[in-house]
Formats: sequence, C-alpha cells, structure tokens
Amino acid sequence: DSLATLDSYIKSTRAGYADFTQVVTNANKPGAGKQSVGTFAFKRPNQFRFDYRKPFQQTIVADGKTLWMYDADLNQVTQRSQAKVLDSTPAALVASATSIESLKQRFTLEAVPVKDRLEWVKATPKDKDGQLQNVMIGFDGKQLRKLEILDSFGQRSVMTFGNFVPTVPAKVSFKFKVPAGADVLKQ
Amino acid sequence: CATPPRPVEPDVAASTWSGRLSLTVDQEPPQSFFAGFLLKGTPRQGTLDLYSPLGSTIAQVRWSPGEAIAQQGKMAREYPSLDDLIVDLTGANVPVTALFDWLAGRSTSVSGWQPDLSRQPEGRISARRLQPLPTARLQVVLDQNPA
Repeated sequence: DSLATLDSYIKSTRAGYADFTQVVTNANKPGAGKQSVGTFAFKRPNQFRFDYRKPFQQTIVADGKTLWMYDADLNQVTQRSQAKVLDSTPAALVASATSIESLKQRFTLEAVPVKDRLEWVKATPKDKDGQLQNVMIGFDGKQLRKLEILDSFGQRSVMTFGNFVPTVPAKVSFKFKVPAGADVLKQ
Repeated sequence: CATPPRPVEPDVAASTWSGRLSLTVDQEPPQSFFAGFLLKGTPRQGTLDLYSPLGSTIAQVRWSPGEAIAQQGKMAREYPSLDDLIVDLTGANVPVTALFDWLAGRSTSVSGWQPDLSRQPEGRISARRLQPLPTARLQVVLDQNPA
C-alpha cells in the first residue's frame, strides 16, 4: 500500500531533482490562489533546496546545518539553524527522513485511498500546537508526484513535481553562496 | 443631558495589499523578520496574514478599536493595542496603520519613522526608524498580480 511505497521511496531515493509548480489557496479566502514555479533538489539525510523562479526569485537552501533564505527583490539573506526549523516541516518528509520509523517519531502516518490517480500517505504532526494540520504525500507508482500541505489556518499549498530524476545535477549545490551586496541576517 | 456621541472617524475605504516584507533591527546581533503578507481592511479595523517562504501561515493578526489578536498555530493572544502586538511579533513597532497610507503612496508622517515612497509606483516602499534606538529598517515589495 502507499505506506510501503513511501518506505521504499525513502530507502531507495537517496537524492532527487525535479521541477515544481506550487498553488497556494485558502479555504476562507476566495480567489484562484497564488501560483509559483521552480526547481526542488534534495540529498539525504538533511540537504535540500527550493529555487523559486516565478512570480519572483527566491531561494531556500538547507545545507545540513543552516537554513538559508534569499529574496532577490530585497537582496536579503536570512539564516537560521536548521535543527530549529527542519524536523516538522514538509520538506523533512520528502527530503531528510532516513526511514519510515524516523518519520513516525514526528508524524502519525496513514495510508489514504487513491485520489487523482495517485496513492497517498497522510502525515499528521504529533506536536499538536504546531502550524501544520497535515501533509499529504502523493505517489504515482514509485514516483513522488504531489505534496499537499494544510496548515492550521486552512491555507493549502499543493506542490506538484515533474521531470523527477533520482540524482542531483552537478551545477546544483547545497552550499549556499551569499550573492554580492546582499545583507545577511540571523533569524 | 446626554453628551454628544463621540464623532466616529469616517471609515476610510478598506484596501487590500499583498507581497513580502522584511524588517531588520540594528542591534547586536541584528534581528530580522521576513514574511509574505496579506494586509486587508483599514487602520481602524483589519487583518494581517503572515506567510513563510514555503507558503504556510506564520500568524494571523486581527484588530479593531480596543482589541488586537494574534493567532499562531492553535494559540491566540490578545493585546491591548495593535502596536504592542506588532512589537511582540516582529521585534519593532512597525506602524501598520500608517502602512496603509504608505502603500497607497501617501507619506503620512509617523514619529521616529522616515518613509521612502520614491519607488512606490513600482510596488516598493521602505521606511527607516530613527527613534527610538536601535534604528530599524522596513522594506516592502508588493506582489505584481495580487491574489
């Protein structure tokens, strides 16, 4: 079932690179929702990066120790210790978990019936006053296809991955280089 | 005899603004706050939603005369005023009520703050806080096609 798929996905894909589109909608705010586009890369156990291209350029890099966030319009980098942030974020689910058991420490996992022709696992955070209601991980066969993040305010972010390859291209690094002239701030 | 009712300010038309804001406070070490935002309403009554770079909600702020509430996750906290709430949330007294004017290109003066609306037509505003120390800097970039 989908739990077995998640387990084999975690154990077999040590790294990955994909395009993503993200649509963020809110139950109590009508409107089509915000769409953004970019690429996602990860290398277990604790490195990943999101490179947003549209509608604006924004980069999020977890290098294993520090989580960097660069906003090009503001030409500003914020950095924070990765430990403080990572463990219950959705990225932890697909990128840094090393086994389904390690995931189970932070999330309750349950198989969910097929929807949109995908097999789903529903991960509900165990820390109750966090900001996430649940995260749905959608698989197309063995391929990670969707990540649906529902936060405690009813904001839903649906990330769809495409052109997934289980290797990280050489040009994609998890070392964050501070762009020239950008101010760097600790958070 | 009944005193005349307190004149209620005419309710300025509500407006909506969305984009990203960053706030840096020049202390040692410098403190920073960065979030996507959706600001709705009027200085008297409105909401401010703050989002993380990955799109999840950090906090929802609601205010009306005499009341300001910040909801984070399942916790809701009440503050006597919006200013107290914003200081607690972001680390500096960002004048949210003046922000409505600044975003619309009206350079309302706020003691201690110096707005720069020269790039407002491009959807970019900034403001420096000179008093009280430490100095602070607010930068806002509006979404080009607001939600």
